[in-house]
Amino acid sequence: MNASLAVKPCYHCGEAIPQGVTLQAWVAGKARPVCSEHCLKTAQWIDSTGLSDFYRLRAGASQRQLGEESLAAWQNPALLQQVLRSKGKGLWEVCVLMDGMHCAGCVWLIERVLLKLGGISQIQINPVTRRAIFTFDSERVSLVTILQALQQAGYRPRPLTADSLSNARSDESRTLLKRLLVAGFAMMQVMTYAFVLYMENLSELPEGTKELFRWLGFLVSIPVVFYSAAPFFHGAKQALKVRMLNMDVPIAIAITAVFSTSVYQALMHQGEVYFESVTMLVFFLLIGRYVEMRARHHAVDNADALVRLTPSFAQRLLADGRLEQIPITELQVGDQVRVMEGAHVPADGVLLSPRTLLDEALLSGEASARQRLQGDAIVAGSLVLEGPLDMRVTQVGKDTFLATLAHLSTQAQTQRPRLSRRSERITANFVLRVLVVSSVTLAAWLWYDSSRALEATIALLVVACPCALGLAAPAAITRALGVLAKRNVLVVKPDALETLTQITTAAFDKTGTLTEPVLHGEQVDAQALQLAASLARESQHPLSRALVAANILPLLAVTQVQSFPGLGLEGVVLGRKLRLGQARFALAASAASGLGDAPLVLGEDGCLLASFNLDEKLRTDAILMVTQLKNDNLGCAILSGDSEPRVQKIAQQLGITRYLARQLPEQKLHFIQALHQNGERVLMVGDGSNDAPVLAGADVSVALTGGAELAQANADVLLCDGKLSNLLYTRQIATQTQKILRQNERWAITYNTLAMPAAALGFIPPWLAAIFMSLSSLVVVLNALRIGR
Amino acid sequence: MNIILVMIPLSLLLLSGAVALFFWAVNKGQFDDMDSPSLMPLEDNPPLEKDD
Repeated sequence: MNASLAVKPCYHCGEAIPQGVTLQAWVAGKARPVCSEHCLKTAQWIDSTGLSDFYRLRAGASQRQLGEESLAAWQNPALLQQVLRSKGKGLWEVCVLMDGMHCAGCVWLIERVLLKLGGISQIQINPVTRRAIFTFDSERVSLVTILQALQQAGYRPRPLTADSLSNARSDESRTLLKRLLVAGFAMMQVMTYAFVLYMENLSELPEGTKELFRWLGFLVSIPVVFYSAAPFFHGAKQALKVRMLNMDVPIAIAITAVFSTSVYQALMHQGEVYFESVTMLVFFLLIGRYVEMRARHHAVDNADALVRLTPSFAQRLLADGRLEQIPITELQVGDQVRVMEGAHVPADGVLLSPRTLLDEALLSGEASARQRLQGDAIVAGSLVLEGPLDMRVTQVGKDTFLATLAHLSTQAQTQRPRLSRRSERITANFVLRVLVVSSVTLAAWLWYDSSRALEATIALLVVACPCALGLAAPAAITRALGVLAKRNVLVVKPDALETLTQITTAAFDKTGTLTEPVLHGEQVDAQALQLAASLARESQHPLSRALVAANILPLLAVTQVQSFPGLGLEGVVLGRKLRLGQARFALAASAASGLGDAPLVLGEDGCLLASFNLDEKLRTDAILMVTQLKNDNLGCAILSGDSEPRVQKIAQQLGITRYLARQLPEQKLHFIQALHQNGERVLMVGDGSNDAPVLAGADVSVALTGGAELAQANADVLLCDGKLSNLLYTRQIATQTQKILRQNERWAITYNTLAMPAAALGFIPPWLAAIFMSLSSLVVVLNALRIGR
Repeated sequence: MNIILVMIPLSLLLLSGAVALFFWAVNKGQFDDMDSPSLMPLEDNPPLEKDD
């Protein structure tokens, strides 16, 4: 029965082509089978623009095409004002979120589509954040034209508010990069000069040459101290203002001390200068800063996921029955709005249509269609599964449930105790001690032999430089992030790597996290399933999707499809008129009774053909993961919004005794807070958006990205390929990172405690001290590379 | 040895030239996006896909 193997997938979207569909697209001179009119249109359009290479470049199948949205609203000046930023001379900049973009091939296609339009310059596309930023000339091309072209190419472009174009971020990154590079270039130069002076110990140099190289070192290290190191001085000043000690304070003191002594030595025409130590110190520390900043920016990219959920415009019903498209910012309480099938509800309101089916998964976290009857409240962000529907707006903008939810999660986020950077704290303490020891050394040498006082003190300061200590954490964390990214695990907040090793309890959301919806396979007739799946393919209902997924036979062509809101689907397959849906809809009254509450029934002329029991299946790696976590002595708990028996069943399968059913977001948050009060540290794994506040309240939050995107905004760690087993891998890497980090810290401290007395007693000349210092840093970096091996 | 009196200023000149070039590149936004260029196709004409 493996007929499906012989069936060619759609050339554009890769889905199985329904039997009877013989559509063919001509791409690059060859006929390619496609599954629907929409895919055909997209493929033909791409070919007609000469961009058929896209199909060779892309990494996987594209998104299935579902018809076009009207983009006319983007002509509205009020809306344009929100998304465009003027660059003068009729040039405008816009940031567009590209739904459906998934690989480098997409970047290639989008770039060329935009270039072909003309009038567009400075295109920047980031496939990771799925954003395109470009500048266009309003005299030559309009935003609507651009968006239409992008839509024709198979994407859903959503312009983001102009705030996302803010300069603050790129300014920060550019400035830091410049500082880093100046320090790097200068370091190389100063090192060369320093080597000449080191050589002096091997062969005698004329005093004039030594003088020259001292002042050269001074000259080149000026930009490093006054430009590159500026953030450290700034940070130290800020900290001292509020009487605090941070990592910047000792660094600023060390830089000042080493630099000013070197200048003094150069002025006195004698002794050693340590300009190379200063530049090296600044360069290595800036690398750490840069890595940290990039991780932070990445987190911000995910934060405005909420914006994507609320539609940008709504259709307002006018008194005379006509529809008017307006930006949702212009929506007012009391307005009547029509929402089309497949669109998101723009504001909270009351349903005016007799009945509808909504997918509130984004808000409730449980993926199931809910029937709403006239007069019921409906919330912004819900997906209309069967429409169109009319509604009266009761709350807009900031007052909507969705906005409240977003607010709740930011609140939880700020309440989370900021993890102190262990390594920085140790460094700060350590250098403070170094400074104390240095002053004691200075005093002792001044009393004993003042001619050697400065040399010994400087050697001490250099040899005990916090470089290795300061690098220990960034080096290990950067390496760990890289290793994890290769396994499709994105660590948004590096702090999570530390906390992940300390957790005592792991809490899981059920639906979509531990389980996935699946058809109860036992007694289903394959032929009946084939009929049902063919019909189900016409709807985006979650149950329909499970049916299509379970089907192994080729899908059949369906005609005369009609959707009955809240009841089911009707259509003609192979000349048979079929109904799929609730029993009372698909069957005659007599046949429907006594069928219990089978969720989905396929009927022909009122007679039962088949009934389908939909169930949820544990994810394949769920048991393995839970067992492993239990072996590690972690408590496991399930927090679900689903009903008691269903949660109980899953809990039993996994051997989890602690579970809570019918939980609202606030209750889940309470549960976690209660655990906190018992001194526990909680890991929360989820995917629905009602988890957002819960995820933010947990010590470490992990989201499976298969689910609602909203949760990404708050999760510390994203498992991008939806594999729960990657959670174990992440934990393993996190543990190893901690181990290596401790090793590095111990190494750095051991090195310093051994070298410091030697330097203080005058056994280490300053030039050797500088070499020791660099070697100790190198050991730290090399050790960090062992992570993930 | 006197050659270093020419070579060192020359190296410093080259260095400042390199820094100036780099600053120009950073200001032009060349380093703003460090993720996507590495994902971009390296060649404009990749090998033809096998026909199945």
